[in-house]
Amino acid sequence: MSDLVIETTGLRKEFRSRRGGLRVAVNDLDLAVPRGGVHGFLGPNGSGKTTTIRMLLGLARASKGSMELFGHPVPSALPQVIDRIGAVVESPKFSPNFSGHQNLTLLARSIGVPKARVDAAVETVGLTGRDRDRFKSYSLGMKQRLAIAATLLKDPELLILDEPTNGLDPAGIREIRDTIRDLGERGVTVLLSSHILAEVQQVCTSATIIGNGRMLASGPVDELLQGGPASMRVDVPDPTAAHRVLDGAGFVVTTPADGASLLVESDDPSRVTQVLGEAGIWLSALTPVRRDLESVFLELTEADTLGHTLGHEATGATR
Amino acid sequence: MRQLLAVELTRLRWRRAVLLLLAAAVVVPTLIAATLIWDTRPPSQDDLDAARASAAPEIAQCEKRPGRFGVEDRALCEEQVVGWYTNSQPLKLGQQRSETGLAVVAVLTLLVMLAGTTFAGHDWNSGSMSNQLLFESRRGRVWAAKALVVLVTSFVVSAVMSATYWLALWMVARSRDLKVPDGVLADCLEFALRGSVFGAAAALGAFAMTMLFRSTVATVGVLFGVVLAGSLIFAALGISERWFPHKNVSAIIKDGTRYYVEVPQHCFTDGPIEGSECDQLRELTLVDGSLYYGVLLLGVGTASVLTFRRRDVP
Repeated sequence: MSDLVIETTGLRKEFRSRRGGLRVAVNDLDLAVPRGGVHGFLGPNGSGKTTTIRMLLGLARASKGSMELFGHPVPSALPQVIDRIGAVVESPKFSPNFSGHQNLTLLARSIGVPKARVDAAVETVGLTGRDRDRFKSYSLGMKQRLAIAATLLKDPELLILDEPTNGLDPAGIREIRDTIRDLGERGVTVLLSSHILAEVQQVCTSATIIGNGRMLASGPVDELLQGGPASMRVDVPDPTAAHRVLDGAGFVVTTPADGASLLVESDDPSRVTQVLGEAGIWLSALTPVRRDLESVFLELTEADTLGHTLGHEATGATR
Repeated sequence: MRQLLAVELTRLRWRRAVLLLLAAAVVVPTLIAATLIWDTRPPSQDDLDAARASAAPEIAQCEKRPGRFGVEDRALCEEQVVGWYTNSQPLKLGQQRSETGLAVVAVLTLLVMLAGTTFAGHDWNSGSMSNQLLFESRRGRVWAAKALVVLVTSFVVSAVMSATYWLALWMVARSRDLKVPDGVLADCLEFALRGSVFGAAAALGAFAMTMLFRSTVATVGVLFGVVLAGSLIFAALGISERWFPHKNVSAIIKDGTRYYVEVPQHCFTDGPIEGSECDQLRELTLVDGSLYYGVLLLGVGTASVLTFRRRDVP
């Protein structure tokens, strides 16, 4: 049995506009999500995250490529695995004139889930007391909670969450984060698509970053953070003079917006100390700067955007 | 599948717009029946006394010359002339088939069609279709469950209301000691059954179109256009009346109808008119009308299922 819960190979999705134009939303994407844990699915707006999720769930047809869920090819074998999957795709969509409870009851009945599970799901997401109100009267945060409650009806092995904390207040975000982490620890595989990178870094064990429909990086979060140049923050009384000295010694130096310190790309603090000391500049602090997911994400996506733009220009030039 | 049917039936029951339309399907035929019963009520004694007083000179003339007033016996003069003055028409079931009976079928068909289209349109409009498919991904089953619920509900509502309509009129006629010829009630109930089957099929068609267009407004627009302009366009294009939508409806509900055709010029110029090609009035049977709408329903239904199974769901 495959250890991958989600696997896509050469996945592609094209949209044709009414004027005959072609837009590629997902381009030759190979996605592999291992069993267990929380897997982040990151990418800028329009990078193809939601389209990929919609294809996996059978809501959109792939133009090319193959997909597997729990080792079963989808969409052909989707009916065999859909009961093991809970999903929130984009904004929560329910019947606006039905209450939250009615909406959940209908979904639960369609898969033969007992009514007690509806009450339990409502309680889990903290909607008790408001579940008899109409869905259209809910705030965005309440709608998100109801969508998460719907995913819990199936007691899923795989949870696919597309921006689940969208519209939630800080307390709500924390609750959902704890719920996701808890589910991951209980063996549920969670695919978490989000823009809030700090959230992703806190709960995810692995991540995939995509841009312009292509995969840019994938792997355990710790490994993703290890790449790229090491840097350190240098606090000195005269940053301008220190900048000049370090530049002269061949270091790559940048000045953060506050202007009170310097960021030096180097993995050798003793060498930085020595160069500044020889110039008579004494350090008040030297702090290693650890990369976070946001910086990795921005590096990858900005480089990809630049490459994509240059690629378009080059294509245009050859024409 | 049974679970899915129960869910769709509940979804239909909980939709307020559908409930309002079904409530209208109860209220409107009831109002039509009530109005008819009131309009055909026997005159009261006061009405008769007033009419007798007003008609006294004419009754006297009638008694002198009964033949001029359409009666042979002078003893019948009072009844004849007073009847004119009270303007009272007795309830005749057979006659009502082509009058209020048609109106009831038309109203019920319109209402169940609207119920069918609004039921499907709401799923697309609210975006809840995608959520439903996350729980039951076999789209063909989802379509079939919804369609079956629309078809059965529409048929039951139409059949119950139209049968109740005719039975109520029959009971009123009996209570008024009016003679109802043998077989008339059975004919009326058959008429109701044909109307109910047509109404349910029309509701299914409206549902299928909405699943195809993914919009109630588009469906209502197309149906409105067909009803309003269909026959006019056909006429403008010189297409035979045999293909007019309303003629085929009439053929189904009335168990056959007749339509006019333009016959060749020689039918008028070459001596005596002979042969079927010179008949200006042709028969359009129940089978013809059923085939006409059956093929249309099959076409729309097939297109609807295929696109629902293949197209991306927003």
